[in-house]
Amino acid sequence: MLQLLADGLIVGSVIALGAVGLTLTYAILRFANFGQGEFLTWGAYIALSLLGLLLGAAAMEPLGPFSFGIELLAVLPVAAALTALLALALDWALFRRLQQGQAIALVIASFGAALALRNLLQFLYGTLPEYYTREIQIAIRLVPRDTLGGLRITPDQMAVMGLTLLTVVALHLLLTRTTLGRSMRAVAENPSLARVAGVDVEQVRRATWIIGAALAAVAGIFAGLTGQLRPGLGFDLLLPLFAAAILGGIGSVWGAVLGGFIVGLAESLAVPLVGAEYRAAVSFLVLIAILLLRPAGLFGGRP
Amino acid sequence: MMAFEAVTGGYEPGLPILRGADLIVEPGEILALLGPNGAGKSTLVKAAAGLVPVWSGRITLAQREITNRPAHRMLAEGLGFVPQTENIFARLTVRENLLLAHALAPRERRGTIAEMEALFPDLARQRSLAAGRLSGGQRQMLAVARALLAKPAVLMLDEPSAGLSPRLVATLFERLAAIRGTGVTILLVEQNVRAALSIADRAAVLVGGRVAHLAPARDLDPTALGPLFLGGGH
Repeated sequence: MLQLLADGLIVGSVIALGAVGLTLTYAILRFANFGQGEFLTWGAYIALSLLGLLLGAAAMEPLGPFSFGIELLAVLPVAAALTALLALALDWALFRRLQQGQAIALVIASFGAALALRNLLQFLYGTLPEYYTREIQIAIRLVPRDTLGGLRITPDQMAVMGLTLLTVVALHLLLTRTTLGRSMRAVAENPSLARVAGVDVEQVRRATWIIGAALAAVAGIFAGLTGQLRPGLGFDLLLPLFAAAILGGIGSVWGAVLGGFIVGLAESLAVPLVGAEYRAAVSFLVLIAILLLRPAGLFGGRP
Repeated sequence: MMAFEAVTGGYEPGLPILRGADLIVEPGEILALLGPNGAGKSTLVKAAAGLVPVWSGRITLAQREITNRPAHRMLAEGLGFVPQTENIFARLTVRENLLLAHALAPRERRGTIAEMEALFPDLARQRSLAAGRLSGGQRQMLAVARALLAKPAVLMLDEPSAGLSPRLVATLFERLAAIRGTGVTILLVEQNVRAALSIADRAAVLVGGRVAHLAPARDLDPTALGPLFLGGGH
C-alpha cells in the first residue's frame, strides 16, 4: 500500500510539472495546447544530446547515492532553456499567426504541431529506448515490509520528488512575489484591463511559453530519469496532464500540482485492480468523472 | 492639454461609433462627458486609452500624438484610465493590485502605495483581502488608486458612479475633486449628470459620436439636457 502511494507520488511529480505548464498556457494564452506533451519529450531528449556532447563516450560519474552525475544537473537548465526556445519558435511560426481567430484553430494547430514534433524527434533519435544512465540503483527501504507492505524508494526517485517540490515553490514565489508573476495573473484574469494597467501582454505571452515549456522539459527529464526515454514519452502523458489540469481547475497552478499528484496516485493505486497495462485508462476515468461532477475543478478559476 | 480632433472609430469595421468627435480637455480641469446611452462616451475614452481603434482623426496629449498607441504604453504617455466594470484584478489581493500598478508605473512619475492608502484609508485596512471581495465603492477606490500610482497627467474615468449608492458617489466624487486639486486633469464619463456637474468645470455632451454641446458646468441645467440626450443639439 505504502509502495503504491510512493509510486503514485513519483509519477504525480512528473504529471504535476507538465500540468502546471499546460494550465498556465490555457489561462494566459487561452487555448488547450496539445503540444505540451511533446515539450516533455523534447526536453528529455535535448538533455540526452547535451549529455552526449558533454561526456562524449564516457559514462556519467554518479553523484553520491544517485544514478546520475553532476552533468545531468548542469544540462537540466540548458535543456529547459532550449525547450523554451523551441516553444517560442513554435509560437512565432504558428500560434501567434492564429491568435486573432477562434480558439479551436489554435487547438487543432497545436495537435498538428505535436504530431510534427513527435515524428521529427523519432526521425532524429529513432524509436529505441534511451537512458541517461545505466547505473543500477539500490532502493532504500524506508518502511519495513510488515508495515503496510513496506516502502522502498531509490535516491533518484527521492531527488525527483524533492526537485519537483522546489520547482513548484519557486513557481509559486514567481507568481506571487514578482511583477512578472503578478502580470501573468493579471493577464490570465483580464487581458484588456492588464493592458490598460501597463502590462505588456506580448511579453507575458512569451514568458508563459518559456515557463510552460521549461517546466515540461524538467518533467520530461524527471520522467526519463525514473524510467526510460521514448519518443512517445510525452504523448503517453498527455491525457494525465489534461486530467490533472482539469481536475485542479484549469488556470490554477496549485490545482494542477494537486491534480497531478491525485492522478498519479489514482493510476498507481489502480494497478493491483486493473493491472499495469490499463493504468493509463484511470486518467481518462478521472477526467470524465471530474467533468461530470465538478467541471470547474477543485480550484476552478484560481490562477 | 488633451485634444481629440475629428476622431472616427469603432469596434467593427464599417460600423463607426465615433463620427468626427472634437474635444479639447484643458489642463487641471474636470471635464464631464455626458450623453445618452450609445452616444459613444465610453468608446471615446477607450479610443484614447488604445482599446478601440481610431480610423481617422487624431488624439494628442501635451502636443504628443497618442492615436492608436498600444494600451500598455499610455501610462508612460501620462494617460490613466479606469474602465467602468472589471477595473480591478479581483483574484489579486488589494496590496498586489497596488504593487503591480506601482511596478508598472513609469519610473519618473511613480507614486507611492502609502500615498494611495492615505487617500483611500479603506484600502490600507483591506490590503490582504482578495480585491474581488471589496464592496463596490472600495473597488472604485482601488481602481482609481491603481491608475493614480502612475501619476497621470490626465485621468479618464468611465462611469465611476455606476452601481454605487448616492452616499458612496458623493464620497468618490469628493476624492476626485481632491485629486484634481493635486493638478491631475480629469475626463469623467458619467450617466449621473447631477453628480458629474457638481464637481466638473466644464461638460461636453456627446450625441451620435460627436460633441453636440460644450459649456461650463455651472451654465448647464441638468433638466435642460433632455433634448440633447434625445438627439437634438448644435
